Amino acid sequence: MKGTLVALDQVPDEAFAGKVLGDGIAIDPSEGVVVSPVDADVAQVFRTHHAIGLVTASGFEILIHVGIDTVKMNGEGFRSFVKAGDKVKVGDKLLEFDLALVKAKAKSAISPMVVTNMDLVKSVENRAQGAVTLGQEILRVKKKD
Amino acid sequence: MQKTVRILNEEGFHARPAGVFVKKASEFSSAIEVQANGTTKNGKSIMALMSLGLAKDAEITITAKGADEAAAVDALVDLVNRKFQA
Repeated sequence: MKGTLVALDQVPDEAFAGKVLGDGIAIDPSEGVVVSPVDADVAQVFRTHHAIGLVTASGFEILIHVGIDTVKMNGEGFRSFVKAGDKVKVGDKLLEFDLALVKAKAKSAISPMVVTNMDLVKSVENRAQGAVTLGQEILRVKKKD
Repeated sequence: MQKTVRILNEEGFHARPAGVFVKKASEFSSAIEVQANGTTKNGKSIMALMSLGLAKDAEITITAKGADEAAAVDALVDLVNRKFQA
């Protein structure tokens, strides 16, 4: 996702900011495109196409959630390019969304990306700051031994 | 120990509800499962619960097995009934 990095605790949603859903990072998007950050299996695409779950070969479960309170948009303005069971590579397009519509209708366009099974995680390290673009490393997650 | 409950909140069993549910479930030592639409998922896995894709009015059966199973099921049923307000 292209945009500006936002620390998870600055996300305007208690569950994400409080890391109830896991640790990670968020992006305030400047374009309505989500590409895969990892090689993974698609675990699920929400029926409203605003969030996607990925599972990496090492077992990390990654949730990418476009915007805050976007579930209420009921899929309007969202389009997915993958489905549950698909295998994706880094950079494969996962979702497209109408950024202007999200900004108009949702609470925020800020999009968190978290590891939901933190029991496997040893550390989460930010690898970038400020503006980021597609293909740039932003987060490094280490697995427990 | 097992109870069936209906999802009452408008957005269904979604990211935030799943996170809150797992946080509560993880407070108990019992193994916890959630059944819906003929599939059974680990009640302590956010991704597994979200993959059920449950909307408002869906019914789920919460099962706990272990030393604190009764308390676990009661706490989780209560959480669902309170629309996942932690």
